[in-house]
Amino acid sequence: MTSSQLRPGLEVPRIEVTPGGRASRKEGGAPRGRLELVDVRYRPPSGPGMILDGITLRCDPGEFVVVVGPSGCGKTSLLHIAAGMVKPTSGRAMLDGREIGGPGPDRAMVFQEHALFPWLTAAENVGFGLKMLGVPAGEREGRVAEALRMVSLSSAGARLVHELSGGMRQRVAIARALVLEPAVLLMDEPFASLDAQTRTLLHEQLQRVWWETRHTCLFVTHSVGEAVRLADRILVMSAHPGRIRKEIPVPIPHPRPMDSPELGELGHIVRLEIQEEVTRVNAEVEAMVGRPAMG
Amino acid sequence: MSTPKWKPWSAAPRWARRAQLIAVWVAVVLAWEGAYRVVGWRPWIFPAPSHVLDATLGMLNVRTGFGEPLHGAWPGPPGAPGAGSRSIVGSPLVVALGVSGARLAVGFGASMILGLVVGIGLWRSAFLNSLLGPLFLGLQTLPSVCWVPLAVLILGINERGILFVLVMGSAFSMAIAMRDGLRSLPPIYRAAGRMMGARGWRLYVHVLLPASLPALVGMLRQGFSFAWRSLLGAELILMTQRRGVGFLLSAGREFADVAQVVAVMGVMVAVGMVVDRWVFAVVEQRVRTRFGLVAAR
Repeated sequence: MTSSQLRPGLEVPRIEVTPGGRASRKEGGAPRGRLELVDVRYRPPSGPGMILDGITLRCDPGEFVVVVGPSGCGKTSLLHIAAGMVKPTSGRAMLDGREIGGPGPDRAMVFQEHALFPWLTAAENVGFGLKMLGVPAGEREGRVAEALRMVSLSSAGARLVHELSGGMRQRVAIARALVLEPAVLLMDEPFASLDAQTRTLLHEQLQRVWWETRHTCLFVTHSVGEAVRLADRILVMSAHPGRIRKEIPVPIPHPRPMDSPELGELGHIVRLEIQEEVTRVNAEVEAMVGRPAMG
Repeated sequence: MSTPKWKPWSAAPRWARRAQLIAVWVAVVLAWEGAYRVVGWRPWIFPAPSHVLDATLGMLNVRTGFGEPLHGAWPGPPGAPGAGSRSIVGSPLVVALGVSGARLAVGFGASMILGLVVGIGLWRSAFLNSLLGPLFLGLQTLPSVCWVPLAVLILGINERGILFVLVMGSAFSMAIAMRDGLRSLPPIYRAAGRMMGARGWRLYVHVLLPASLPALVGMLRQGFSFAWRSLLGAELILMTQRRGVGFLLSAGREFADVAQVVAVMGVMVAVGMVVDRWVFAVVEQRVRTRFGLVAAR
């Protein structure tokens, strides 16, 4: 591959899209991956106030839901509750009808950055979860290779984390989540620290991988462009306290070309709605407290 | 800005810097020896390098006579075991290094395990940390030989007494270092580990300990120098059947052999430096390289 030799971060994704994803692969049985939050409130034990105030949302199996909102609106808390890393103060979080008790490999998370283990190679990072689950080494190898192939990093398995570019690291992080065959994929602004070009490539790649595997995805970002490119449905959040203000479906079929004018247009509309929302909330808060709220 | 005429010393090639350093040290030693020969310093008060060399080789059963004899048995060490033996392997210094090395291996090993476990405890439990953290920090101000009287009274003048002093002198600092190492871990590793199903002891073995490896190596490095110092102090005071390096120092004092005293001190520093630079520094460099904390050479 000459492209990867030139510049590893800008490797051209080569993914063969196989029709029919995980939903059809699991023959019989109901498709899994229905994530539900019901009237979730969250006030951190030491924090000043309510971070999340009555969040209700549902991700259907195979659906890609993106939560957009300003920084500090509780997006990450929302994700941590879904992951089971944080217990909500009240309300229920459920996966396929069962209460979420703690973190586990059925809800794999892709973190913002720097969450790969620097003492392991890329392949060992991807295989880590399988090792913890007790998958024998032989089977592990095959599944790791498959996951690395999905993010087109087959040749980078032996590299250490610090030998990978930022974009490659996040692809390894995605592979590390995918290999667990989770019911839900949770993503916490995974591309926030990347440059715009790399981010576009990764959007395209994530889109293809998702199309291939059809995981339920809950993706959190502050970038409207990102939301519009990836989402089946966009949830707009406001801050102080965190609430879901609006639900915007994105009725453009997948896989989407990243430069389509439709996306740009929709992005414009969503941006306007968010702007309106922010202004309105600010005015509300100002009226209540008598000072401008943080935007 | 004008370019400076001189280059910083660190910009010189490695061999040139090495050569300069060695030249300076050689000059210092020659001046010292010269002062003794020309001015006529009294060697039984302050020995010349030639005496120290004689004494060092004497402890290895190699008889030399670079300086004038200081006492009847010169240059053989007075009061040392193995006087009958003539081989290097059976010489006082080699035997003493073996004895001290064995004690160090056992004591440092115990102290490492203790430091690791207690350090994890302090990190896990805020209660334990508030209870014991300040005490441990306070105990670090205590010179390790201050444990000797307690060791003598409780355990007696024996191996266990020496090991007690060694462990007390190094375990607390390692526990504190371990705690601080774990504290500085990014919480995201823990979250990622738990997300991938690592729980309980597996979270420690597979995530938290490897993640704190850079801190852990630093802890061991510091702990080793604490352990070595404590051991020598204990050996200096506790005269047991088996005689370590500290004993040789004490014997040199008993027989007023100042050359042996300086020679043994030199050996103590050399052992500490060699282990630090050729064991711990190498391991630390390798860990830091793997973690990408330094550019690989």
